[in-house]
Amino acid sequence: MRPAHAVPHRVPGAAPAWLTVLTVAGLGTWLVLAVFPFLWMILISFRTPVDAFSVPPKLVAPVTFENFRAIWLEDGFWRFGLNTVLVTFATVFVSLAFGCLAGYALSRYGGKLGLWLLLAALVFRAMPHVVLLTSYKPFFFQYGLWSRYETLIIVYVAINQPFTIWMLRSFFVNIPRELDEAAMVDGCTRLQAFRHVIMPVMWPGVATAGLFSFLLAYNDFLIANQLMSGDMQTMTAALGNYLGQSRHMDKLMMGIAGAVSITLPLIVLVLLFQRYLVAGMTQGAVKG
Amino acid sequence: MKTKTFLGFVAPSVLTMVALIAVPLAGVAWLAVHGSYVQTELVEVTTEVPTFGGQTSVRTRTVPQPVLDENGEPITVSEYVGLDEMRAAVDVDGLQSAFARDRSDRTALAATSSLYDDVTNLDFWGALEFTLLYTFGTTPFVLGIGFFLALGVNRVTERIRSTLVFATLLPMIITPVVAALSLYWLFIDDAIISSLLQSLGFAPFHFLGSEWTIRSIILFFGVWSATPFAFILLYAGLQTVPQETLEAARVDGASRWQSVRAVTIPHLAPLFAVIALIHLMDAYRVFEPIYVFGSRVFASSLQYLVFFVLAFQDNVHRAAAYAILTIIGVILLLAPVVWSTWRHQGGSNR
Repeated sequence: MRPAHAVPHRVPGAAPAWLTVLTVAGLGTWLVLAVFPFLWMILISFRTPVDAFSVPPKLVAPVTFENFRAIWLEDGFWRFGLNTVLVTFATVFVSLAFGCLAGYALSRYGGKLGLWLLLAALVFRAMPHVVLLTSYKPFFFQYGLWSRYETLIIVYVAINQPFTIWMLRSFFVNIPRELDEAAMVDGCTRLQAFRHVIMPVMWPGVATAGLFSFLLAYNDFLIANQLMSGDMQTMTAALGNYLGQSRHMDKLMMGIAGAVSITLPLIVLVLLFQRYLVAGMTQGAVKG
Repeated sequence: MKTKTFLGFVAPSVLTMVALIAVPLAGVAWLAVHGSYVQTELVEVTTEVPTFGGQTSVRTRTVPQPVLDENGEPITVSEYVGLDEMRAAVDVDGLQSAFARDRSDRTALAATSSLYDDVTNLDFWGALEFTLLYTFGTTPFVLGIGFFLALGVNRVTERIRSTLVFATLLPMIITPVVAALSLYWLFIDDAIISSLLQSLGFAPFHFLGSEWTIRSIILFFGVWSATPFAFILLYAGLQTVPQETLEAARVDGASRWQSVRAVTIPHLAPLFAVIALIHLMDAYRVFEPIYVFGSRVFASSLQYLVFFVLAFQDNVHRAAAYAILTIIGVILLLAPVVWSTWRHQGGSNR
């Protein structure tokens, strides 16, 4: 209980009113800008073309699932959905397997070679993907590797490695060396120490790196669109078929439904793993 | 860790990167200095041509035909062309005629702007122009807006904070093609923005019909999709600002803004540099909004130009030449960073 005579004084850290107003207005504007395009896209995907593009715009309109039915069943979007599931999960698995081995070694090795590898990875990370694609396309065509799941998966793994090893290295660095050294004193080999002692405490790092591998494979348009033919494409790449269709309203609405189908899993992902995503982005950059 | 063990551990990762990044980069260089054509030979073809009155006459012509190999496929021949393809990619001829054009009747300013237009009308230079505009034009906004968002979010309660972070992550996490499309669908004719304006009494406006609106929307996309990254990093950085120093500044009578400028910003300076670098690398390879807005005429980018030549013109060698020019840009962008990292970490050996 506060004594009755205590005068409410200004707390040293309290903000003046104008600053509070400014903060609320600024954050509110950003919130609308960040969310509105997606919200509106999701809203109109459940409408008929007439309701979706009406003058003046309608806030409430009858709900229909026709656009989703048309693209998923009539146009066979489910096939691209299955391709996406297969390719993204395989990519995540292989990326993590390769990335953990390399990230661990980089965190425990003191020689110049490690620094060279990290610098090379930094340069590789900056390479525009289309540069690599220019080489892949004629080569894969010639050797019959074009439009195969294995090809797309290993290409994603390779493109992902630079980022993955940087991130995993920064997670492994935080695990004390004494842990694996103790295991090796007890008779483990380096590989056994890595598998049985280090990996079990690495799960947050692995989950974070896995999320980013997933996002790269799931979000890529360029490579899947050019390296996979017709039925073999991923959802994102197949969305290209619905672009530039502002004249055919049905096709346009199917494109919107397709885009929403790609968006919804990502929204769930952010809801579930927000903390890991934030950790992944700040890891390394903030600490060093 | 012993070097031998180290090599064993990194082998799978390094091998994939060598096979699918390093070797393809060498492949691009090879493609850029080679040309290829389908080998042809002249074959005599004899045909009987009906002439007047039921007569026929025999005509023999020589026509070029592709040479087939034992599988019946046409044989493609590659030959070394030196820097011809690169010269064509930079468009030396186009540059010369742009510079040679007579502009003596105009003022210096008008002449410069007409020269600029002529040069940026060339494929490569136009793509370079917008790529640089996008890369360097969005960076200050990404850093500035990201910083103010971080300051603002730092002041709200825990519950609002996590909602804000969730909403902020969306433009960055959601598939770039889809994010660009979600903006595109706001601006097409009769979509919400144009129909709102119409119902407010404005004449119908075609946002996708003029250069400056398309460019502005694409630049907005650049800021919108990259700001979340800057925000998250700066927000995490804000938590590491020493509270005692802020406290001391306040005791000394510094205003809020003064203590932000004197304490917070210097403390976060290295972080600003990291964010700027990562954003420059990502913005330099802008592709999706250019593709979605289908605006090759109004706004192009280096990565889109290579894609266009590769996918629609099917000209691997020209695409490779453009790709080499793109890589030169990456190297120029990264050289100072790699050099300073090397100096920084190389000496201390870890």
